[in-house]
This record gives sequence, C-alpha cells and structure tokens, in this order.
Amino acid sequence: MSANSTPWRSDTVHYRRRLFVSRFNLAMSLATMALGMVFLCWILATLFVHGMAALSPALFTQMTPPPGASGGLRNAIVGSGVIVATATFVSTPIGVLAGIYLAEYGRAGWLAETTRFVNDMLLSAPSIILGLFVYTVYVVPVGHFSGWAGSMALALIAIPVIVRTTENSLRLVPGSLREAAVALGAPMWKVIVNVTLRAARGGVITGVLLAVARMSGETAPLLFTALNNQFWSLDMNAPIANLPVVIFQFAMSPFDDWKALAWAGALLITAAVLALNIVARAAFRQGKAR
Amino acid sequence: MPTSMPFADVHLPAESDVPPHDAASRSAVPKITIRNLDFFYGGFQALTHVGLDIAEHEVTAFIGPSGCGKSTLLRTLNRMYSLYPGQRATGEVRLNGVNVLDAATDLNLLRAKVGMVFQKPTPFPMTIYENIAFGVRLYERLSTRGMDERVEWALAKAAMWNEVKDKLQQSGMALSGGQQQRLCIARAIAVRPEVLLLDEPTSALDPISTAHIEELISELKVDYTIAMVTHNMQQAARVSDRTAYMYLGELVEFGPTDRIFLNPARKETEDYITGRFG
Amino acid sequence: MNDHTNKQFDAEMEAIRSGVLAMGGIVERQLRRAIGALQTDDDDGRFAAVTADEAAINRLQVSIDQQCAEIIARRQPAAVDLRMVLTVSKIVNDLERAGDEGKKIAYKAVETRSEPLTRVRHYDAARALDDAASMLRNALDAFARLDAPAAADTVARDAEIDAAFASILRQLVSYMMEDPRTITPALEIVFVAKSIERIGDHAKNIAEAVVQVVMGTDVRHASLDEIRAEVARR
Repeated sequence: MSANSTPWRSDTVHYRRRLFVSRFNLAMSLATMALGMVFLCWILATLFVHGMAALSPALFTQMTPPPGASGGLRNAIVGSGVIVATATFVSTPIGVLAGIYLAEYGRAGWLAETTRFVNDMLLSAPSIILGLFVYTVYVVPVGHFSGWAGSMALALIAIPVIVRTTENSLRLVPGSLREAAVALGAPMWKVIVNVTLRAARGGVITGVLLAVARMSGETAPLLFTALNNQFWSLDMNAPIANLPVVIFQFAMSPFDDWKALAWAGALLITAAVLALNIVARAAFRQGKAR
Repeated sequence: MPTSMPFADVHLPAESDVPPHDAASRSAVPKITIRNLDFFYGGFQALTHVGLDIAEHEVTAFIGPSGCGKSTLLRTLNRMYSLYPGQRATGEVRLNGVNVLDAATDLNLLRAKVGMVFQKPTPFPMTIYENIAFGVRLYERLSTRGMDERVEWALAKAAMWNEVKDKLQQSGMALSGGQQQRLCIARAIAVRPEVLLLDEPTSALDPISTAHIEELISELKVDYTIAMVTHNMQQAARVSDRTAYMYLGELVEFGPTDRIFLNPARKETEDYITGRFG
Repeated sequence: MNDHTNKQFDAEMEAIRSGVLAMGGIVERQLRRAIGALQTDDDDGRFAAVTADEAAINRLQVSIDQQCAEIIARRQPAAVDLRMVLTVSKIVNDLERAGDEGKKIAYKAVETRSEPLTRVRHYDAARALDDAASMLRNALDAFARLDAPAAADTVARDAEIDAAFASILRQLVSYMMEDPRTITPALEIVFVAKSIERIGDHAKNIAEAVVQVVMGTDVRHASLDEIRAEVARR
C-alpha cells in the first residue's frame, strides 16, 4: 500500500479488480456452458427429429429386416433387455457386497486400498477393452459369440460403478448412526443390513440404475461378445440381437430403411437412459429425505 | 405408651429418620468400579490413571473442558472404542465385578447391558416402532403382543408415548430433535440395560426438550445406573448425584454434586465451575 | 482468586462486595454517633444525621440484595461465588439490623438524658458500644480481606460484649432493688444495653459468614473451638 493513498482508495481499486475478475470468470463459465448446451440440444434435436419420423408400432412387433424390406427392432429391444437384465442381476450383488466391504470393513487395509485402486481403473477403462477381454477369456475358448458373453462384458462395466456408488453412499452415513446401532449390542452384519445399508438405500439404488443406464448404451463390448442376430432368439448361449450393435450396423449401412431404424433405436435408448436417470434421481432424493 | 396421651398421633421425625442431606452419606453400591484406567489413541494418552466408582441408581456426571477425556471415559465403559483400530485401554473397568476390558468380553452382550445415547439424535431410518423393536429383537424373542407392550413401555418411560402413539408407523426421522433424542433414549432402555451412558444428550436440543430429558434422567435413575457427560455445568448440577471433574485426561476431583458445586476441595475444580478457567 | 473469564461477572461480584463495605462504613458512622449521643449532651445536628443515614442504609440493603438476586438469576454462580453471593445477602441484613440498633441507642440516649442515673450508666454503655463497633469493624475487615482467622478472632470477641451486657444488667438490678424510683430510667438503659449486645451478635454473624465464604463450612451453630479448628484446616 503506498503511503500517499488512503487505505480506502486502495481498497476500492482492489475491489474493482476483484469485481472484474469475478464477472469475467462468470461470463466465461456461462459461455462454455452455453457451448455445451448448444451441442447437446443439437444432438437431442437431431435424434428426436429423425427418430420420431421412424417411430412406429411396427418397431416393437417386427424383427430386424433384411436390407430393403420394412421391419422393426423387436428382437434387438428384447435381446438388449435380456442381456442388460442378466448383467444387472449378476453385477448388483457383487458390486454392493464389494462396496460394503470397502466402506464398512476394509477402511484402511491394504486389500481395500488395492481393491479401490483396481476398481477406479476398471471404472475408467475403455469399454472396448472389456469386450476384448471377455472375447479372449470366454468367446474364444467356447468357440462362438453368445448372450452370456455379452452380459459378462456389461457386468464388468457395471460392477465398478456400483462398487463406487455403494461405498460412497455408505460413507455418507454418519458414524454416529453406526455407533448407535452398535451401542445396542447389534453385531456388525446386523448394523450394516438393518441400519447403514438402509440409510444409504437411496444412493445404492441410484448407483445400480446409473449402471443399468450405462450398460444399455454400450456398443463396443457387445460387438466382440453378443454380436448380433437378425432373428428372434432368447438363447443366451448363442449370438443375440441387441440395440446398440443393431444401431451400429444399420447406421453404417447405405440403406435408408436401416438408417431410419437406427435413428429410432437411438431415440429409444436415449429415452430409456433419460427415464432411468430421472428414476435414479427421484430414488436418491427420496432416500435422502428419509 | 398410653394411647390417651395428647399429640400421640403426631410423629415428629426421629433424628435417624431425617434423610442425610449430603449424597456422600447415602449408602451407594458401586455398579462400575474403575481403577488405574489408561487410554490411548494410538500414541496419544487420553486418560491417565483414572479411578472412581459409579454408584448404582445414581447419576454420575463428568464435566471438564473439551478434550479432557470425559467422552473417552464414557466410551470405555461399553468398549465403544473397540470399533476403531489403534484405540486401546488398560487398567480395570469392572461391571458387576467383571473386568470389561478383558479380551474375552463379548462386546455385543456388554453393549446390551450398557446402553448409550449420543450427542446428536440418531434415529434409525425406520419407523418409530421398528426403532424400538430393533434392539429388543437382538436378544429377545417376543410375541407380537409382547413386542407391542415393550414398545409402549419404553416410549412411556421416555415420556413420549402420548406424543407418538398414533404415529408408530411413521419414520423416526420425521420427529422433532427433542423427540428424536427421547426416541433414542427409549430405544436404549427398551433392551433393559443395567447402565445408561449419556454423551452430552441435550447439547443439540432447545431448552424445553432439554428440560424434558433432564426430568427423564431423574426418573430413570430409579431403575438404572446413569453416567453422563455434559458441557453444561448447570445441567450436571441439576441432574447428577455425583460429579467428576476431569482435566487433561486426569480425574481432578470426584464427589457428591452438592459439595462439588458448593465447596469443591480442589482449586482447579473451583476455577472451572466458577468460570475462572483459562 | 483468579479473575473470571467473563469480566462483567467479575465487575458484578466486585460491586456487591464493595457495596457491603460502603454500607458497613455508614453503619459504623451511625454507631459512632450513638456513642457520641451517650457521652455528650450537645446535639449539633446528630439527630438529623442519624435519620438520614438510616434511610441510606435501608436503600443500600435493598439495592445490594437486588444485585445478589440478579447475579444468581443471570450468572448461576457456583462454589465460592455462590457462597459469596448468599453471604453478602446475609451480611447486608445483619448490617441493616446493627444500624437500626445504633439508631435506637441514639434516640434512647437523647430521651433519657435528664435522668441522674443514666448520666453515670451511659458511660458504661458507651464503652460497651465502642467495643461492639470495633468488633463490627473487625468483622468487615475480615470480610474485605476474606481472612478466616481474623473472622474467628472476631467471633471470639462476642463473649466480651456479652459479659459487658451482663455486668451492666447486674448493676442496674442492684440500683433498682435499692431505689424503686430508678426502675423507669434503668429499664431504658437495659434496652440500650440489649441493643449493644445485639450489635455484637450481628458482628458475630458477619464474621461467621466470612468463615463460610472462605472455608465453605457453615459455622453458625458451632462452638468457638470448632470454628478455630475449621479455620486452621487450610
């Protein structure tokens, strides 16, 4: 502070500068947010326009057609559903139990630290690698693509998400609640099942739903595992149709019919993911309010 | 004595009938005896050679500045510290003559006998009814009717039955702070412990709820042995029979509450309770 | 004694303490006027001063009591503070009574001045009253310094005052038996002597209260030996 300027004047100068910096940064964040929103809306609008045009009841009643013929996505929708449901069924208990271990038992042990590290790596691993992994360890030895392989790959994607969210939401449960249950003489597993897991219920359900949302959009791992099937099949031990791969194939094709179906499939997945996200948020909010 | 004697029906209390005013002269049976208790958080010693008796059917209050070890002491009585690796206690804490610090102690059974209520109300995320029934089901198998009766008994003991009897199926977390804390007390007494530990039970509550809980403590000591930690010296003065003043992990003075608050023996105690501390 | 963390609390405690000492000063002045009234005939405005001080003492008693109540209500004093507040409340009562006795003695001295008997006997009374006043001063000094041994010594002096009262009484009885005409003035002197004896009692109460503040023990009905033993404890 210079000797001939009063503190008040100097403060004003600093204050003006701070005000400017603040406004500049606010403007920049708004601009970048607007940029992101523009592209997001653009994508959604394009998807909506093209997808709505191709939307018809036949989508849900007819099989994927050969090129040039009309058809629907029935086998792909059902196939996706079966694969994702199986993967969810497998990954949820594994993920939740691992999350419980990390949050409740292995807070600081080396095993927990390692698990956490590996889990984080899995969480950020490119999904195509997981697909290749399942291809190598399952598809190649068995000798054919299958729905089981697809579910396995998707489960590998879901597990780290569920582990992470379960652990985080259990850690949000205040220690005093845990102590209160322990103070009644409850054994640890009862404390977890009846009190902490119940208190973290909203977060755990949210994690599972988010994992389901993520799985239903994955294409790469399915290319190497479930492949595709043009016909109606519920045989998990054989290649099975699924929306992401169908969209991939149809969108790359030169046929207008197929391209229209790809748009419709994309819209369906997007709508499903959006719905899951909304349900997940609602579940989380409800879990918090209780 | 002739019955015709005037004033024969007037009974003046004999000297021995007058209850002694001082709590110290009441015969007190020790429920918990603590001897040579040391406590460590890793390398930090939080309690040094603490020794005192917690008398049956009395309220024993622990006062002292933050970090003096009073909560730590309370948490050794039900081995709460055993939840955390790196915390350990040496010495003796005898409950009914058995040292609870022994490695062989069944912690769940110990905690069923020594209930605890915490600073912040901690209702479980379940209905009011289930909050109470949870602890009871751990060690008793009651019929539906028996459980209903137990829940009503505990809530009535905690002076809140009339407030909640019509909403037993509502979430315990929807209650007010004071009600939540009384629910926690009801939950603790529902398992019929022998000792009740209260760790600053009213520090998060408004004065009216505090008064309710203090009244409750006075009533509960008829059936239970109560040890409480409080930051509020007036509260210790109001509800306790004996007061222990702790400082820097040591027991500075322990005696009847009347004496501690009127005429403490140690200057440190006097400085603390008269607000001359630090 | 250390200061309170809360300085306002310190100031309030100091206010009641110095209030007691100020009140004690006025009561002592009142007693000196009573002695003067017993010793001399001239009035020189003493009567008006006694009345005015009586009012001042009453006002101080009410005001200090009020301050004690406020401290209890606002600070919830404990231990030595609580004993001090309770004791101050007792001491102001004793001081007010002692002041009253002083006023009564002054009035009686003026009323009975013309009697030949009282002229002689007033001399004894003045000496006893001087003792009682000095005992009161000792009690207040002990209070000012919170000096328990000095307070115990003050309690011991009550026996002297009682002895002086008994001696005056004995002499008056012999006068009254010899000459019944002296009964009326003798009775007036009995009242004066009784007042002096009461002043000694009030001083003793104050000294005992000081012991209670310092030691925490109620010595009101203890013997002198017990008090001395208690005081020697610390």
